[in-house]
Amino acid sequence: MANKQTYWKGEEELLRTKDFLASQKNEFNEALPLDEVLSENNLGLSANRRDFLKFFGFSIAAVSLAACNKTPIRNVVPYLVKPEEITPGVANYYNSTCGACSAACGVTVKTREGRPIKVDGNSNSPVSGGGLCSTGQASILSLYDTERLAGPQKIKDKTASDVEWSAIDGDITKQLETINAAGGRIAIISGTIHSPSTLGVIADFSAKYTNTKHITYDTVGYGGILSANLTSFGKQVIPSYNFDKANVVVSFGADFLGTWISPVEYTKAWASRRKVDGLNKESKILKTIQFESNLSLTGSNADYRFPMKSSMEAIYVTSLYNAIAQKAGVAQLPMVKSGELAGGAIKQSAEALWNEKGNSLVVSGSNDARIQSIVNGINLLLNNYGTTIDLDNHSNQYKGVDADFAQFATDLNNGAYKAVIFYNTNPVYNSPMSEMISAGIKKASLSVSFASTADETAIECQYIAPDSHYLESWDDAEPKAGVYQLTQPTISPVFKTRQAQESLMTWAGLAAKPLVDPFANKTILSQKAEASVYYLYIKTKWALMGINTDAAFNKALHDGVHQMPAKAATVPAFAANLSAIVTDLDKMKVDTNAIDLVLYQNVAIKDGSLSNNPWLQETPDPISKVTWDNYVSLPKALAEKSGIANGDLVNVIAGSKKISGLPVFIQPGQSNMTVGLALGYGRKGKIGEKGEFEAIGKNAFPFVTYNGSNFNYVTNGVKIEKAEGKYELAQTQTHFSIEGRDLVRETTFGEIKENPKAGNDKNAPHLYTLWETKDYKKEGAPNHHWAMSIDLNSCTGCSACVVSCNIENNVPVVGRAEVRRRREMHWLRIDRYFSFSNVNKINYEADLFLKKDYEGNKITKEKGLEAIDAIEKKKADKANYDHWENVQVVHQPMMCQHCGQAPCETVCPVLATTHSTEGLNQMTYNRCIGTKYCANNCPYKVRRFNWFRYNDNDQFDFHFNNDLGKMVINPDVTVRTRGVMEKCSMCVQSIQATKTKAKRERRKINDGEIKTACQRACPAGAIVFGDVNDENSEIHKLFKNERSYRVLEELNTQTAVKYLVKVRDTEKETKA
Amino acid sequence: MVRNRNNYNMQVRTIVVAFLLFLNLNLFAQAPGKPLSADAAKGESLFKLNCTSCHAMDAKLVGPALQGVHTRRSEEWLLKWIKNNEKLRASGDKDAIAVYNENGKAAMNVFENLSDDQIKTIITYFKEWTAPVKVKTTEPSGGTDAGFFSSNTLYILIFLIVVLVLVLYILRRTKKQLQSTISEMEGSNAEDHEHKELSEGQKKLAEFKKKSNPTIVKLLVGTVIALCLAVYGYNFGATEIAVQQGYAPEQPIKFSHKIHAGDYKIDCKYCHTTVEKSKQASVPSVNTCMNCHKGVQARDKYDGQISPEILKIYAAMDYDPEKPSGQQFGANPKPIKWIRVHNLPDHAYFNHSMHVKGVGLTCQTCHGPVQTMPVVQQFATLQMGWCINCHRERNIDVENNPYYEKLHEKIKADKNNKNSNYSKYYTKDGKINVTAAQNGALECSKCHY
Repeated sequence: MANKQTYWKGEEELLRTKDFLASQKNEFNEALPLDEVLSENNLGLSANRRDFLKFFGFSIAAVSLAACNKTPIRNVVPYLVKPEEITPGVANYYNSTCGACSAACGVTVKTREGRPIKVDGNSNSPVSGGGLCSTGQASILSLYDTERLAGPQKIKDKTASDVEWSAIDGDITKQLETINAAGGRIAIISGTIHSPSTLGVIADFSAKYTNTKHITYDTVGYGGILSANLTSFGKQVIPSYNFDKANVVVSFGADFLGTWISPVEYTKAWASRRKVDGLNKESKILKTIQFESNLSLTGSNADYRFPMKSSMEAIYVTSLYNAIAQKAGVAQLPMVKSGELAGGAIKQSAEALWNEKGNSLVVSGSNDARIQSIVNGINLLLNNYGTTIDLDNHSNQYKGVDADFAQFATDLNNGAYKAVIFYNTNPVYNSPMSEMISAGIKKASLSVSFASTADETAIECQYIAPDSHYLESWDDAEPKAGVYQLTQPTISPVFKTRQAQESLMTWAGLAAKPLVDPFANKTILSQKAEASVYYLYIKTKWALMGINTDAAFNKALHDGVHQMPAKAATVPAFAANLSAIVTDLDKMKVDTNAIDLVLYQNVAIKDGSLSNNPWLQETPDPISKVTWDNYVSLPKALAEKSGIANGDLVNVIAGSKKISGLPVFIQPGQSNMTVGLALGYGRKGKIGEKGEFEAIGKNAFPFVTYNGSNFNYVTNGVKIEKAEGKYELAQTQTHFSIEGRDLVRETTFGEIKENPKAGNDKNAPHLYTLWETKDYKKEGAPNHHWAMSIDLNSCTGCSACVVSCNIENNVPVVGRAEVRRRREMHWLRIDRYFSFSNVNKINYEADLFLKKDYEGNKITKEKGLEAIDAIEKKKADKANYDHWENVQVVHQPMMCQHCGQAPCETVCPVLATTHSTEGLNQMTYNRCIGTKYCANNCPYKVRRFNWFRYNDNDQFDFHFNNDLGKMVINPDVTVRTRGVMEKCSMCVQSIQATKTKAKRERRKINDGEIKTACQRACPAGAIVFGDVNDENSEIHKLFKNERSYRVLEELNTQTAVKYLVKVRDTEKETKA
Repeated sequence: MVRNRNNYNMQVRTIVVAFLLFLNLNLFAQAPGKPLSADAAKGESLFKLNCTSCHAMDAKLVGPALQGVHTRRSEEWLLKWIKNNEKLRASGDKDAIAVYNENGKAAMNVFENLSDDQIKTIITYFKEWTAPVKVKTTEPSGGTDAGFFSSNTLYILIFLIVVLVLVLYILRRTKKQLQSTISEMEGSNAEDHEHKELSEGQKKLAEFKKKSNPTIVKLLVGTVIALCLAVYGYNFGATEIAVQQGYAPEQPIKFSHKIHAGDYKIDCKYCHTTVEKSKQASVPSVNTCMNCHKGVQARDKYDGQISPEILKIYAAMDYDPEKPSGQQFGANPKPIKWIRVHNLPDHAYFNHSMHVKGVGLTCQTCHGPVQTMPVVQQFATLQMGWCINCHRERNIDVENNPYYEKLHEKIKADKNNKNSNYSKYYTKDGKINVTAAQNGALECSKCHY
């Protein structure tokens, strides 16, 4: 067997700590609090017989009485005038644009009876390509958030009171006119806007109020790239990065699969170049090399990952430039310090890049314009402009220039602005200039926010004119040059909110509807009554673009996208003086022995604008599997050195800034002498524990620094000091042990070219069975056999599928406390396995994991704990933690495997879980009596038990317990009640719906017609679902693929889910 | 025992309503003045089919009242107008444009499908039409009679009977008691005397009583009673609890399926439009009612007034029948809260379109003879057993529905192969017979997810 990797899910599993071993023995994380419950009723476990009988008798009587309830009268209220397009019980779909971040993915919104219930990617959109990230998926819940403002607010002393639109319109317009007449300056400060129409509205507003300035501020922006491209090429834009055209990518801390610029687009492109099927010996896949401090999602998927100290990035990037310059035969940069990483990483990367000249790509996550300039220089040396980097068809997704915002903050604080309008931005919470902004707002005589909740900035203003949710709005977008998308409302506004554009138009006196249709030869008199003025404005703008007929506009609306022909990509002239830049960089003082603090965005929460979203909070971080908190991720070496253990609290001090009491998580893969901390936390929200307005995690934005031209997310020289107390993070990763079994399989690209079965060449286990082969599995069976294939090679672990599954299947959120008790309800989880990169360095931990102690004796069950004690003592010996920095990661989505011979089915005493003739493992909630036998007998640990009635219990205030939040429930899926088991159904509701449709239309089901929720969400296309018995289906081919295997095949469960072996593009011999 | 009561109510109601209808029909028969000629009768049916959604003879609806229209316009003009009013207007006919403007510019439908002869019969109907004689309908005496049968009276009756029976029983007991006291007073030998008179059987019983253990007897009797109760309880639980067969709640509007679906033979799908597309048959939106009820006001039954039930529709739409105004409705509509008759629990998924369009079942298969129900009631038990039974008995259309093509081919290929799995799908006379159950229709995930 070529693969000798040892996999582990977490430190505790690898080290087999006492607590961990003890916890794995029990069915439940903690003993059930039976005594507690009984004693509340004056009973105890030691209660006598009479008490027992009383209790018993009372319960029986109570249950019988409760059962005597009269059947409630239920009403049906039909429409008065049924809208033509709505058929009760049938979903409608609308193409639109996601408003969760300014990447602006095209989406398809599913509505039922006029309410949106699901958002998926629109495959027409070049940005989303049919996938959608977890944040975008979850943004639908913000529409039904009870914390949204129900109408315009006037604020006095930080308390908001309801007012009428007419009242605030009058006040604001009057003040704006007065200020403008007196020559006072007006600021509109917003996140990136690339909507041509919104920009038009702002321009019109500025034409009316001539002293208006529009400033763009991105919470986590890319000002460094914008400035570097301005100095290098004279274009202040982010280019299009064409990952699909590259054969090798080197990334310095850019998490392009997780959070960097346009992650869905990049994941799609990246995954398209990671397919290994049908390739020949000369073929190449996209070799991915990552240098970084925190273990990011991209790092976890990289072929080579080199831990780096982020404060020294400039040195490494310059070294890479010089290494390539040497090969190219051009002048090297005059660098005083030079750097190389362990194993000659820079040199090797330079080699790999040079070999793929013109088909390579170097990106950096740094926000330092100087570093980005050198990166530009490298790409230019490599001839990458015009192929993998396209400045002509550039991205508009981020446009915030850091210096503009810094200037604005200073001006505002100096009282230079008389009026300030905040649109889709919250700088009091998320900017390093929070105090200046907060103080400055009070110096302006008019301050307005368009925030839809009373957020940190809005509450400081005088007025809040709440903007509508993007699912209630008309808008357009131009995320990339020449790519136009439309946003259309899919529901009438839930509250008395108004689109920001309309507010601006009203205040500028432009809200009168145009008298003629902007489109040629057609009047829209009939539409005018209902159409919003901004809708007509959009039409006016699009008419100028050439979309000037109803047919063309409706086509764009139907498709969601209108694309102009792409321009030819050119090689730009380079104008930056790199020598001067390097000299400047050399002056930077970096203390190589001090700790770096590296701030990052979590894949789900991102910049924190949707932090009040329980779906996102409960999505485990793909790497640490921590939910509901941010934490200091500490390298093992540093933790051991400073005597800090998992769950300790620490204070982080960076210059004058200090955050106390942050929980610690020891992160394998965290590079030495660096610590990571996620942004986007520390906001107060209703979904904090027990419905209190309690902050979730701690706000790390104060640690962002400003270096005079850019915001900096890396700080050299921070102090970590241990604080009093302990804190248990709600982590899902080691809730179940893998017991050293062969769950994930991987190989290298070199090997698979030689042998298509590489990594999967284990001898087939001898299989025994007691049962007859089911009909649907026999050769040529006429029934369907539903099955799924998951390509571990494409899966990045981004967790979009997890959120999609939650939404589609009404999976409840359980909250931090319940996750700690191992009671998360996710039907689909992504298991993340670590292994040490270099198996030759198998160390004592791995030995231990192989169940041997230092004397080489097998650790038996009885002797286990003593043996561990002995090893604990030996721990002091080890001196080197390098291997802890160098971990490899495999992500494995795990859900019900729909076993053909299911262990759960044979143990259910009431036949609540049974097998269908189409290969599905069916779970019947109304039969289940909650014995949990099935969960115990499931080898994949995918069954979830409902401990509470989450949808009606106010202890679980996660939008599922109120009428508004319940609007998002999928009406085709039962909302499970307390005391029943549940699990992945393979979206049987979609299967049944499609079957019904096919039978009704008297035809067969087409391959690919049924898509599960996880499959629809996946930007990488890793999940394929279909009917294996259909010889022409994609799934049929995938099941025959040499890489496909079943997890725990030796149990002969005959699962309907197969995985495809992961392939790393590393050298062949590293895996020997 | 909800079911029985409801059934009884149903029967009583049916009788009463049938009686009322009988009376009404009689009245109705008297209503029109003269009998119509054959042509006019043809015209009447055409008129009802095509015109009544917008026109009435004696009232302005969307279009004007047509009483005496043949005197106002020439037959030639009417022919042109009815056939294609748009053409007539386009030709610049002044009258036509005037009519169009007078009626709020609501364009009349074009009836190119009607032949001239047909239109002439309609005009003949206009000529022969006379206003129905308004009959003063007093409250029919049947109404008071119905009171006698009301459920309350029935309960009082039953209660009285029970009380009387009890009184009878107590009197008998008292009589017996008195007799035995008398006999006791008459002689102490009475006991011995009685003993001797015991029959053979009674003796045996006494002996048995002496021999047997009283505890065991008690236990035995107790068990038998408990078993009987348990069987009854199980039956009750299985067939009564949460089973609403016969449930016929009083609806906010006394809508009669009998009149609509039965008497007027309106297709179910005319109102329940989504039944072939969706899982829901859906209660029609109120504008569907208005399609007809703008015109149909049942004034003849209510002394020239609009029926109070139809007025409820107008109230829901906030529609003023005196000022009909095209498709526009009022500003303060109030949706109608119908009471749901067929309630499936949330965990059971049922799809109408599959059964109606996919399988081709009639509505009556599950809903019973709705066209005879003045008040709609739940016909089936809607219990799982009832669903399952049907799935066991019904066949799927393997031969004609291409969805089952693969299965059909297998069955055909294995016709003569007795060992094949598929030979079981043949009946003795060699016909293919696959029940829904054999194709997986009994599986949990068909309905529960």
